[in-house]
Amino acid sequence: MSVINQRFDAIVIGAGPAGSTAAYQLAKMGYKTLLLERGRTPGSKNMFGGRVYLQPLKDIYDDFEKKAPIHRWVKKERISFIDNENSTTIEYESTKTTSFTTYLTQLSGWMANQAVNQGAILLTEIRVDKLYRENNVFKGVVVEDEVVNADVVIDAEGINRLLLEEANLVEKLKPNQVALGVKEVIKLDSNLINQLFGLDNNDGLSWVFIGNLTNGIPGGAFLYTNRDSISLGIVLMLEEAIRKLDKHIYKLVEEFRIHPLINKYLKEGRIMEYSTHLIPEDINSLKPRKLYYDGLLIVGDAAGLLLNQGYTYRGVDFAAYSGYLAAKAYDYAHNNGGPTSDNLSKYEELLRNSFIYRMLNKFSGVTELMKKERLFNTYPALINELASRLMHIDYDSYKIMEAFKEVKKGRISWLTLIKDLWEVSRKI
Amino acid sequence: MGLEIIVGIKWVPNTTSVNIDPKTGTLIREGIPSVVNPHDLTAVEMALRLKDRYGGRVTAISMAPPSAIAGLEHVIGMGVDRGILASDRVFAGADTLATSYVLAKVIEKIGDYDLIIMGHETIDSSTAHIGAQVASWLKLPYIYYAKEIDYNEKEKSIMVKRILENAFEIYKIKLPAVVSIAMHTYEPRRIKISNKLRAKMENLIQVWTSKDLDIDVNCAGLRGSPTVVSAIDFVPKVPRKNEIFNEKDPRKAAKWLIQKLIEEGLLDP
Ligand SMILES: Cc1cc2nc3c(=O)[nH]c(=O)nc-3n(C[C@H](O)[C@H](O)[C@H](O)COP(=O)(O)OP(=O)(O)OC[C@H]3O[C@@H](n4cnc5c(N)ncnc54)[C@H](O)[C@@H]3O)c2cc1C
Ligand SMILES: Cc1cc2nc3c(=O)[nH]c(=O)nc-3n(C[C@H](O)[C@H](O)[C@H](O)COP(=O)(O)OP(=O)(O)OC[C@H]3O[C@@H](n4cnc5c(N)ncnc54)[C@H](O)[C@@H]3O)c2cc1C
Repeated sequence: MSVINQRFDAIVIGAGPAGSTAAYQLAKMGYKTLLLERGRTPGSKNMFGGRVYLQPLKDIYDDFEKKAPIHRWVKKERISFIDNENSTTIEYESTKTTSFTTYLTQLSGWMANQAVNQGAILLTEIRVDKLYRENNVFKGVVVEDEVVNADVVIDAEGINRLLLEEANLVEKLKPNQVALGVKEVIKLDSNLINQLFGLDNNDGLSWVFIGNLTNGIPGGAFLYTNRDSISLGIVLMLEEAIRKLDKHIYKLVEEFRIHPLINKYLKEGRIMEYSTHLIPEDINSLKPRKLYYDGLLIVGDAAGLLLNQGYTYRGVDFAAYSGYLAAKAYDYAHNNGGPTSDNLSKYEELLRNSFIYRMLNKFSGVTELMKKERLFNTYPALINELASRLMHIDYDSYKIMEAFKEVKKGRISWLTLIKDLWEVSRKI
Repeated sequence: MGLEIIVGIKWVPNTTSVNIDPKTGTLIREGIPSVVNPHDLTAVEMALRLKDRYGGRVTAISMAPPSAIAGLEHVIGMGVDRGILASDRVFAGADTLATSYVLAKVIEKIGDYDLIIMGHETIDSSTAHIGAQVASWLKLPYIYYAKEIDYNEKEKSIMVKRILENAFEIYKIKLPAVVSIAMHTYEPRRIKISNKLRAKMENLIQVWTSKDLDIDVNCAGLRGSPTVVSAIDFVPKVPRKNEIFNEKDPRKAAKWLIQKLIEEGLLDP
């Protein structure tokens, strides 16, 4: 093994939102920073659903709204309960917005580019094979048979965490800790998108589906409007999917795409891309025991810093902000005698005082909810049957309670219903 | 001592992700990520192996838009010593003649060289013209489909084994010369992080414009390209049919098949 004679203040592994933002902030503060990405371009290996919350990114990047690759501002939100023939939808529309749609590859690329503009060195097609450690202090990275040294290493490798696993800092991921997402991007003319979904130019729709699209497996489906394409996909809790899914998961996405209530939007569309990726779910159990070590900080998905709020994910803004805080923590450590574990514990403190830990604590009950199959099959069916009884009229019409009693019968008791309602409204 | 080697690399759209515009019939290049022409990586590998055996220096050259710097960084990552990019608006729209003209001018300007190595052909045009044309501009001997090269330092010559359909030929050629390497001869080596870092930190890539080269702009780019693409025809798509006849008895199956082929007009009754 040969040691390269270049030495860096910081090496950041992975140019997703977490790593690129950490590198940006480090370079901006004047640190000699090396950002390493195994894909051909930053973000070429990552994937997400489609919507990013703005505010945390605005705090980090100057003029973010003007310069970042934003596709559409989300002004319309839909949550639909869906079965084979019916769907009942809650729609919220506003002239205001706090989030946007984009391609994650473009956003990661943009962020990495900001890092480069600040002086960071970005190397793509470089896969880090190991964290380099001497006497339990992290000192750099190993790529094939070469070592590159740095004062601090920032691990932003995403959810697969092969490096952390190899370094014995986390255990192998288990199926009950993650969800599996599968997505298609479908090309569609941007004016047509506006017409179909009732949007103005640059306005976007975020649409979440709960119901039998997932074959009764806990999870959901999503549809986002990009500038001139639609992202649609399915998310399944992996353990339940392994246990219960009797067909290939791409079939589920296809069934979603050709569902009569969805397909009508996509007639002119052409599939451009198909991808799949894991999502951290059970944060409490998959979070590394510690996020700071002598010479090492862990950020983004690798650190389990992602919020599932039930009807929306906050991964990108959490990842980017954790990268930002890690850079700040290194700055603190650097100015106080070096990146020892003690000094880098500043990172934990910054996280604790930020929205990241605040939100992860507040929503810590969601994981449990995600395992309640009832919420993903019984209730959506119940809601649709209720709506169907109230809306489909031939001679006699229903009163609400009458219809409700009928659809509830044999499905669920009052007691369970009230308990579930209470639990959902407390945890989400 | 050792060999001064120049290797030509082309920056091509990654054809595994290219679509053809059904209306105009042209490649949709927009938004398609580019890569180093894969057969040129084989050429680079040959150059590096020669350098490993005999010492010297490997210079990669390319005529391409500025984004090709990433391609030069890639081959420097493999171990190439430096890169030269010929890039200028007046080079755009070149056919093979105009391309080889500019490349020959680049090589002339480099001046000090023993061996020029090219790939077999490109994946986006596949003419395999460039090697021969560069050789003729420079009045150098040219040999193609090379599989093996051995260098004789005393004589300043190389022995080249070239592959034919079912035979090898061996030639001895005086240097300098141009050789293009048969595709798939070698697996290109992996990138080293130390080399990639050098590419980023040591200014190993120069960009030359028409002003840096002793060039007649009427011979470069679109203006220097006599080739005219008059039309593009598509091979008509033959609609495929399939039928399955489940029959254990081979006689019956054969009879059925022959009957079908006759019905389709593919066999005379
Ligand atoms: C289906 C799905 C839907 C989602 N929907 C949303 C959404 O709508 N909104 C939202 O905010 N979030 C969403 N997320 C979550 C979000 O995508 C992630 O939280 C976010 O991308 C995490 O960023 P990161 O930088 O930590 O990791 P990643 O984005 O995964 O980036 C990690 C990077 O590290 C690189 N890498 C890994 N190992 C190495 C190595 N050894 N050497 C070099 N490089 C390496 C990878 O190639 C990759 O580029 C979704 C996720 C999925 C899967
Ligand atoms: C009729 C016609 C019209 C064309 N019109 C255009 C046009 O309008 N715009 C346009 O962009 N292209 C155009 N091209 C393509 C362009 O001329 C060729 O791609 C280019 O001249 C190289 O030829 P080739 O790709 O067939 O290379 P080949 O001759 O197959 O390549 C052999 C080897 O030469 C070397 N080499 C080839 N090109 C380069 C290069 N640029 N730099 C360094 N080394 C290289 C490589 O080692 C390669 O393996 C046209 C081609 C034809 C045939």
